Amino acid sequence: MQEWEYDPPPDIDESMAETLQNFPREPKMLPYTIRSIASLILRGWMRTYHRLQIEGRENLPDSGSFVLACNHTSHLDTLCMMCAVPLAKIHRTFPAAAADYFFSSLPRSAISAILINALPFDRKAKGAESLAVCAKLLENKGNILVIFPEGTRTTTGEMGRFRSGIGRLVVGTDLAVLPCHLEGGLRAWPKGKMVPRPRKLRLRIGEAQSYGHLEKKSESVRAICRDLEERVGSLGRQHE
Amino acid sequence: MSIEQALQSDIFLTYVAIVAGLLVFAGAVLGTLYLLGKNVSAPARTYRGWLVMIPLVLGAIFLGREATIIGVTLLAIIGFKEFARATGLYNDWWMTSVVYLALGMLAAVSLAPDPRLEQYGWYGFFMALPVFVIAVILLIPILRNRTKGQLQGVSLAILGFIYFGWMFMHLGFLANAPHAYGYLLYLAFAVEINDIAAYTFGKMFGKRKLRDEISPNKTMAGFVGAFGVSMALPWLLWFSFPHFEPLHLILTGIIVGLGGQLGDLVISYIKRDIGIKDMGTTIKGHGGILDRVDSMIFVAPIFFHMARWFHGIA
Repeated sequence: MQEWEYDPPPDIDESMAETLQNFPREPKMLPYTIRSIASLILRGWMRTYHRLQIEGRENLPDSGSFVLACNHTSHLDTLCMMCAVPLAKIHRTFPAAAADYFFSSLPRSAISAILINALPFDRKAKGAESLAVCAKLLENKGNILVIFPEGTRTTTGEMGRFRSGIGRLVVGTDLAVLPCHLEGGLRAWPKGKMVPRPRKLRLRIGEAQSYGHLEKKSESVRAICRDLEERVGSLGRQHE
Repeated sequence: MSIEQALQSDIFLTYVAIVAGLLVFAGAVLGTLYLLGKNVSAPARTYRGWLVMIPLVLGAIFLGREATIIGVTLLAIIGFKEFARATGLYNDWWMTSVVYLALGMLAAVSLAPDPRLEQYGWYGFFMALPVFVIAVILLIPILRNRTKGQLQGVSLAILGFIYFGWMFMHLGFLANAPHAYGYLLYLAFAVEINDIAAYTFGKMFGKRKLRDEISPNKTMAGFVGAFGVSMALPWLLWFSFPHFEPLHLILTGIIVGLGGQLGDLVISYIKRDIGIKDMGTTIKGHGGILDRVDSMIFVAPIFFHMARWFHGIA
């Protein structure tokens, strides 16, 4: 009789706190169920409380992996982006979230990993490593990376400079990047406030860009960042 | 079983006193050893695990029949989940969903009243449920038109349901018995004492291994010592089931003494075959839920049917 092949998961000896920090995560039934239900509730909430309006959904590619790059005004940004992707892809949508904030304690990790499906991104020491994780993620077909290239929330309403990470991630690849602009986040949930206020939110998704024609050089990285920054900014001006 | 009955039950209150006394005693021993400069970090971790588990178990029994059945069901669900994860069955969501659903059914028929007899606990359905569950599990490969690896998946799901679910959840059904407090508390207490006795006798006198291929930690001395303790315990705690005759006490001793250690050995060879040390990390200092409740899996159903044969369950 041939031997059976068991495959115990690599994290079997790890505690829950450690498992939540791991990335990529194994698909698990309970988190998937919770996330699906939470996404449904979230959609209803955003539609009614914030009267979220999404324009440019048709720009989302049907297949393949892509990146959504959005301006960052509040925590609502991530939630709006989760509402923008089709519900069936919610488990393959990964908002990049600062590891030093969103994975700093067990309850935060649980919310980030289970409800948001966040990708722990190290903004400080291991930025390059985190970018490699993102690149690996996007190699698999059908994954969506949500990224805020400014790296932090704005406090003034002015959009900050885009950091080089997004450029380094997509330069010389066929990956599609969709510039997005969310308006109203700052008014609805400014940094430091405990609960969001019922203000209208408008999300505009731009056309897919691809930077496969550029060489992998630091000038092209800067050019990509400028280009995306400009595109996100002009989407923002279209709101008026 | 209810809160009022628990407060009036001498059996319940006596067990609370015994367990609290033992905990205080063990804590005092650990504290003394610590003050003497001994390294007690490992036993202290196990002790803290007990400090969490014992109030949970006593609390569920205190709250009554429903809480006890739901608590046992939760243990079965977590236990099955650990088994499914360790074997890789976890990746097969169809199989695991059916087993989770079946565990929920077991809880429901344990809670529900029997439609023909006026009593709680639908005994007939509880005993017949494996037929239907096994049938559904066997149909899954047909429904999704797949063959590769299906025999393994079906076998693991059936074993997982029957062993960690159905056999173990006889413990929950015992909450419907008229002598539920005595039965449940005695089993929980005796099974753990049996475990601790096996460990202690093994440490003190153990030389020959019990089953050297399966577990390096279990010894002949531990087995004999624990069996002796388990044979004596029903006489010491006769107040738990005053209606038992001596024959029933002897049977109870054999069931706990043998069943407890067999359950332990079963989990041991499952873990050895898979190649892991613990079934999980649910309880700090104890491993997974299965590493803690393994000894109860044989004891619960066999004691249940012994008690039912002689005295009836409802």
